[in-house]
Amino acid sequence: MAAGQQWVLVEMVQAFYEAPAYHLILEGILILWIVRLLFFSKTYKPHETYKLTEKEKEDLIEEWQPEPLVPPVSKDHPSLNYDVVTGPPSHKIIINGKECTNFASFNFLGLLDSDRVKDKALASLKKYGVGTCGPRGFYGTFDVHLELESRLAKFMRTEEAIIYSYGFATIASAIPAYSKRGDIIFVDEAACFSIQKGLQASRSFIKYFKHNDMEDLERLLKEQELEDQKNPRKARVTRKFIVVEGLYINTADVCPLPELVRLKYKYKVRIFLEESMSFGVLGEHGKGVTEHFGVNIDDIDLISANMENAVASIGGFCCGRSFVIDHQRLSGQGYCFSASLPPMLAAAAIEALSIMEEDPEIFSVLKRRCSQVHQALQGIPGLKLVGVPFSPALHLQLERSSGCRSSDLQLLRSIVDHCLDRHVALTVARYLEKEERFMPPPSIRVVVTVEQTDEDIQKAVSCIREAASIFLR
Amino acid sequence: MNVGVAHSEVNPNTRVMNSRGIWLTYLLLTVVLHVVLLSIPFLTVPLVWTLTNVIHNLAMYLFLHTVKGTPFETPDQGKARLLTHWEQMDNGIQFTSSRKFLTISPIVLYILTSFYTKYDPTHFFINTCSLLSVLLPKLPQFHGVRVFGINKY
Repeated sequence: MAAGQQWVLVEMVQAFYEAPAYHLILEGILILWIVRLLFFSKTYKPHETYKLTEKEKEDLIEEWQPEPLVPPVSKDHPSLNYDVVTGPPSHKIIINGKECTNFASFNFLGLLDSDRVKDKALASLKKYGVGTCGPRGFYGTFDVHLELESRLAKFMRTEEAIIYSYGFATIASAIPAYSKRGDIIFVDEAACFSIQKGLQASRSFIKYFKHNDMEDLERLLKEQELEDQKNPRKARVTRKFIVVEGLYINTADVCPLPELVRLKYKYKVRIFLEESMSFGVLGEHGKGVTEHFGVNIDDIDLISANMENAVASIGGFCCGRSFVIDHQRLSGQGYCFSASLPPMLAAAAIEALSIMEEDPEIFSVLKRRCSQVHQALQGIPGLKLVGVPFSPALHLQLERSSGCRSSDLQLLRSIVDHCLDRHVALTVARYLEKEERFMPPPSIRVVVTVEQTDEDIQKAVSCIREAASIFLR
Repeated sequence: MNVGVAHSEVNPNTRVMNSRGIWLTYLLLTVVLHVVLLSIPFLTVPLVWTLTNVIHNLAMYLFLHTVKGTPFETPDQGKARLLTHWEQMDNGIQFTSSRKFLTISPIVLYILTSFYTKYDPTHFFINTCSLLSVLLPKLPQFHGVRVFGINKY
């Protein structure tokens, strides 16, 4: 046994002595390389070798101007002169101790102060307490959450729904859950603030198209198609999305959904639809903009809406196909990392859904009221009504801007104050001016609800007319 | 490394190669591959060594230098989508111990193979080519570089 092995070994050593020189030289180099790697290589991070020189450092320090912790604010800054609201902001709202008719809260279906909803919420509070403060995937899920999800899915006729604890975070988490670095999002310029935050968090390439301008969108899609043809390898790993709002909160316009669906199939993009304003408002059964246009809901990849407007609860939801929605249960940051919706709010939302299902008449009443208000607000001298007739939140903009945003706002605010004195609660549309991507022009937002009577509307419109004639001469 | 608790690593790919268990597993797998090949009849010893070397280098090239991104859903919005595992290791820091280990191991295998193939020119050619395919992408100079756009997206 030993002899055989020895013979092999001897042969091997023999081969080593007869090995070609180039082979041995290469091995020598490799061994030297190992030695160098082991003993003479220091760890370093590439691309971070740039260091500031002393002079550059000094210049930077010189340049820096400290900002005051609290900047000086003028006395008439709107944040310092706030109105105090007492009680629920339902049909009648008490502002600074004065009872007014509410034309400012997004309580379209009047469910905010509904006794049925309140009773259910109270019963749920007694049964579950205020909630566990745990995230859904951990110990925060209650049976009411699962019930609400299945009820929403049934209501929207989709496979699955997922609820978030905060309306703003719904679309802001849903977008980055699907769209990552290197992906492309086509988005309407008038998209609301929560969409903008979602886009920012996604780190994707954002391409803005002009508000509701399908030709502009098609131009961008064509450009992208050409680029994709040039670089098909890149195109294969790039996801493309269109993000639109059903009913735009900033312009009160409706998106041209059938046209968007056509573009979706032509250019192979996915559509995310934000329906916060249109859910529970548009359509015969309040299903939103898909029902309004008669578009098949399966043609929309993701629908997101918050339950803080028509549903009059807190939180939001996304719905769509199961494999789309299920993805969010592990990668929707707002779903994974925030405490679940308090069960009583989920119970309130379930009851609101029941009311909407039992009485679809409510949506035609709302539609009638909207067109009534839209009609009545036409032709106010100095003010221009923006929005479609069936939108429950309309904008009154100045016909002639003075060119300065703050003085325009001041003017609109004096109209609002005038109406407030006459017991009509209105509000100026507010924005985070430094953060908005495309700042909408200043406007007064008039919110229509089913609870407003003909007299309420007449009174509000005459107040606005009167104020406009006083302030906008 | 904390065992049994949740880690806070954004991208687990960055540190998975640092564990000694992975090193041992890698060495054992290579040995098992070699033994399995040896147990196949009609394969001569030099052929088995070259096969071990080539298969090892192919697997290394595939897993470290071809496949990009992560198998995990990372919370960094896909920062590593276009980076290979080698580029993700230790967040791109060069000459860390796991990088050194994974650079030296194919060289050692190559030297052993050379010895057992009796410095045969044909085996030399095949083995050297396969060695270069895993050594060149490991150079710091090729970090994040895609020659001729190969494997870019």
